[in-house]
Amino acid sequence: MKSVNVSRRRFLQSSAVTGGGLVVGFSLSGCSSTALPLPVAAAEGAWTANAFVQILPDNTVRFYTARAEMGQGVTTGLATLLGEELDVNPLDMDVRLASAHEDYNNPLFGMQGTGGSSSTRAHFLPMRQAGANTRLLILQAAASDLGVELADLSTDNGHVVLAGQRYPYGDFIESASRLTIAADAALKPADQFQYIGRESRRVDAISKSTGTAEFGLDIDIPDLHYAVVVRAPVAGAKKLTADTAAARGMPGVTDIVDVASGVAVVAESFWQATQAASKVQVEWEETALSRVDTATLRADYAAALDAGDGVEGPDEGDVQAAFATASTVREADYWAPLLSHSPMEPMNAVVRIQGEEADVWTGIQFPFAVAGLVSRMADIPSENVRFHQTYLGGGFGRRGTITHLAEAADVAKQTGKPIQLVWTREDDIRQGPFRPASLMRIKAGVDESGQLVAWDTARAGGNISPNTFRTLLPALYPWLADFLVEGVANASEMFFENFSTDESSTEGLFEDYDQPNTRVTHMTVEHGLPLTFWRAVGHSYTAFAKESMIDEIAQAAGIDEVTFRLQNTQSSPRRQNVIRIAGERMAGMTVPEGHHLGMAMHHSFSTDVAEIAEVSVENGQIRVHKVTCVVDCGQAVNPDIVRSQMEGGIIYGLTAALYGDLNLEAGAVKESNFHDYRMLRMNESPEIEVVIVDSGTEPTGVGEPGLPPIAPAVANAVFKATGQRLRSLPLKLT
Amino acid sequence: MISFTLNGETVSTDIDASTPLLWVIRDAFKLKGSKFGCGAGLCGACTMHVDGAAIKTCVTPIAAVAGKSITTIEGLGTPDDLHPLQAAWHEYAVPQCGYCQSGQIMAAAALLDANPNPSGADIDAAMSGNICRCGCYPRIKRAIQSVSENALAYDAMASAGETA
Repeated sequence: MKSVNVSRRRFLQSSAVTGGGLVVGFSLSGCSSTALPLPVAAAEGAWTANAFVQILPDNTVRFYTARAEMGQGVTTGLATLLGEELDVNPLDMDVRLASAHEDYNNPLFGMQGTGGSSSTRAHFLPMRQAGANTRLLILQAAASDLGVELADLSTDNGHVVLAGQRYPYGDFIESASRLTIAADAALKPADQFQYIGRESRRVDAISKSTGTAEFGLDIDIPDLHYAVVVRAPVAGAKKLTADTAAARGMPGVTDIVDVASGVAVVAESFWQATQAASKVQVEWEETALSRVDTATLRADYAAALDAGDGVEGPDEGDVQAAFATASTVREADYWAPLLSHSPMEPMNAVVRIQGEEADVWTGIQFPFAVAGLVSRMADIPSENVRFHQTYLGGGFGRRGTITHLAEAADVAKQTGKPIQLVWTREDDIRQGPFRPASLMRIKAGVDESGQLVAWDTARAGGNISPNTFRTLLPALYPWLADFLVEGVANASEMFFENFSTDESSTEGLFEDYDQPNTRVTHMTVEHGLPLTFWRAVGHSYTAFAKESMIDEIAQAAGIDEVTFRLQNTQSSPRRQNVIRIAGERMAGMTVPEGHHLGMAMHHSFSTDVAEIAEVSVENGQIRVHKVTCVVDCGQAVNPDIVRSQMEGGIIYGLTAALYGDLNLEAGAVKESNFHDYRMLRMNESPEIEVVIVDSGTEPTGVGEPGLPPIAPAVANAVFKATGQRLRSLPLKLT
Repeated sequence: MISFTLNGETVSTDIDASTPLLWVIRDAFKLKGSKFGCGAGLCGACTMHVDGAAIKTCVTPIAAVAGKSITTIEGLGTPDDLHPLQAAWHEYAVPQCGYCQSGQIMAAAALLDANPNPSGADIDAAMSGNICRCGCYPRIKRAIQSVSENALAYDAMASAGETA
C-alpha cells in the first residue's frame, strides 16, 4: 500500500494580511507559492490563516475545500480533519469551494485534481496539520492578548478557554495576524478525536436540500448567452457541409459558429439554443469508426486475444508449468461494454472573456487544467484566467474531462459574449468519453489442496490513460502547436499499444489472490472511440472477470466460496478479514425460498471490500433484494459518509451490472437518453447494509471501492439460482 | 401574457408559450433550485408542484400552467425555515452530489401531501420517476419514512412551510 508521506516541514508557512485578513500559505510541493496571489477572497477584518481557513471578527470560520465536491462528501471529510485539530465543529463552518492555486494541489497527484478515491488519504495528515498550526497560533495570540501563559489556555469549538471563561477565536485574529505560524504544531492522538470517526451529518446537506447549492448550470451573469453544439454522431468525424440558414432565423439566436466538434448555436436561452440546433443540417465525413458496430468491437477484441500477441504485463513464475500441476483448470472470457457516466448534471461551463482576462465557472475534477486550456482557446495569458469552482452535479470521472470547457472558451472568444455551453443529455450519452469496452480472458488452475497455482490473464480493448492524456494535453501545454499536441498524444497512444501496459487497463485482474504463477498480457485495440476514467476505472470491469472466475473455479474444485477465498489470500490479513466477516454474515443469513446469495471480494484504491448479494430470478428477470457490504478503508473519518459511498458505489455498479450497455451502430451510439440508457430507480434499489471494519490505520479510498464487487456478487448469485454462468455485462439470462 | 401563481405570488410572463416551465422558472424568475437533467421527462430533476401534483416541468409548456399554482423547492422551505422533508434530508445525510435532490424532495412532498402514511411500495411507486446517479435511494426512502411516521407534525409543519 502506498503511504502518504508528507513531511510536516514541507508546509510552507507565511503569514500575510490581505484586505484586513491574514493568509498562511500551505504548499505540499515544497515550492514557494509566492508566485501566485493567495486565492482566498479578502473579507473586511478577516484573518486568513492559510489557503484553507479564514476567521472573521464575528468568529465565522470559513473553510476553503481544495478537493472537488461531487457528492463523495469530501467537503465534510476535509472540514472534519481540519476541525479536529483547529477545534471547530465542521458543521459550524462556512464552507467555500476553493479556486485554482498550487496550494490546493492534491498531495498524491502534485496537481489540483480530485479522483482515484485519493482525497481522504492524501489529506489525512496535511489538513490536520493546517488545523493544528492555526489553533496554536490563535492560542499564542490569546496568551499575548490576555497576558497569560500558553499552558493556561485550552480551546473548545471556536473558543479559547481561560479559567472557564470563553473567548471567540475572532477576538484574537488581529494579534494572530502579526505572529508567525508554527510549522509543526503537535497533532492529537487518535484517542482524543472528537470529530474524526464519529457519526456526523454533512456540511452540504441543507444547501443541497433547499435548492441553494450552486452548480455550474446555475451560474447566471449579466448578458449570459447559451451555446449548444450540433455534434457528429460518430466520434471525431469532421463536418463536410453545414446548412445553418433555418437555425439563424429561430427566436433568440444570436450567433452560429464553427467549433472543432461541430456547429455551435448561440442564443439568449438554452431552450432557444436547443430548438435552433435541431434545425441545423450537417453532413459529416465517414471515418474508420463509421464501419464499427458493437459486434465489431467484440470480434476484434476476441481476435486479438486469440492471436495472443500483446504487451507483457506482470509475469511471475511459470504459468505453463503450473497448469501441468493443477487438478482443476478453468478458462473463460468476460465482456464488459461501453458505458456513459451520465452524471445528473449535464456537462456545462461558463466562460467570460473581457479583453486579456477571462473568468470561468464550472464544476470540475481537474481545476489545474482550466487556466491553460482557456489561455490556449482565448489566446490570453494563463495567469489572467480566474477560475470559480462550483459544486459538481456528479463526477464519476466524467468531470475530469475538459472538452466542454474548450468549446465554451472557443465560442466565447468567437462571439465576444459571455457563454454558458451545455451538453444536452443526448450529447452526454452519445458522445463520450466512455468507459471502455473490454474482453478479458482468464485461465486459472487449482491444485489438489485447493491452492490457486496459476493465473493467466489477458485483456483486449482501448486504453484509458493515453485517451485521457490526449484530452488534457492542450491544457497542459497551452503554447504547444496543435499538430505537436496531436503528435505527443499519438506517441503516448503508441507507447501503451506497443511497450507498456496501461495500468488502468489491467488493474484488478490478477493482484488479489496468492497464486505463485501469474501472467498478464494486454492487447490494445483502438477504434477511435474517446475513452476516460469511469468510477473505479479498470476495476469496474476487471473485478467482474476475476471474481466470476474465482467463484467458478472454487465451485469446480468443490470448495465453498468463503473457504477458497480465505485459503488463497493468506498474504493479506486485511483482505482475509473482510472475507471472513462477509462469510460469517452470509452463514447467518436466512433467505426466502428462491433467493440466493452470491459473494465477491475486491481490492481497489487501497481498500478491501467484500459484498454479498441476495438475488432472485423471476420470469428470467434478475432482482437484487439486499446487499451486505464489508469494507476496510482504514480509519473512517466520517463513518456515515463511508456508508453512503458504499451505497452509492453499489447502486452505480448495479445499474451497470443490470442495465448498462451502450451500443454502436455504424460508429454511432444508439442509445440517447434515460429511456434506452436505463438507470436503476428506487423501486429496483436493494436494501444495503454496510459493515465498516474498525481500524486505526491511515484512511484508504472510499469513493470507488464499493462498486467493483457488486457485478460479480450478483452474477455468482445468479449462478446459484439458475446454474448459468453469466460472463457478459450487463447480466442477462438467456 | 401568461399568469400563474409562483410560490404564493401571482406572476406573469410574455415568454414564448411553448417554453417549458422549467426554463421559465430558471431563466425568467431566476429560481435555480429546479434542475435540468434530461429534457425529456425521464429523470425528475425538474420536478415542481403544479396545483399540488408533482410534475416534470422540462416537458410542460408554460401555456399549460396558466392560472395554476406552482411551488418550487424554494417555496417549500428555506435553509432558515426547513420543510420537514428538508430537515429529514439533513438528518439522514441524504444528498451526495445533490443535483437531483430538489426534484426528489418535491416528489416526496407531493406523495406525503396525498398520502401521509405511505407504505414502502407506495414510496417506491411515487419516487421511481426520479433518478439519482449517486445512489441515494435507501436514504431518500428512510428520510421519507421518518417524516411520515410523524405525520401529525408533518401536516402542521408542511402547511406552515407551504405558505411561508
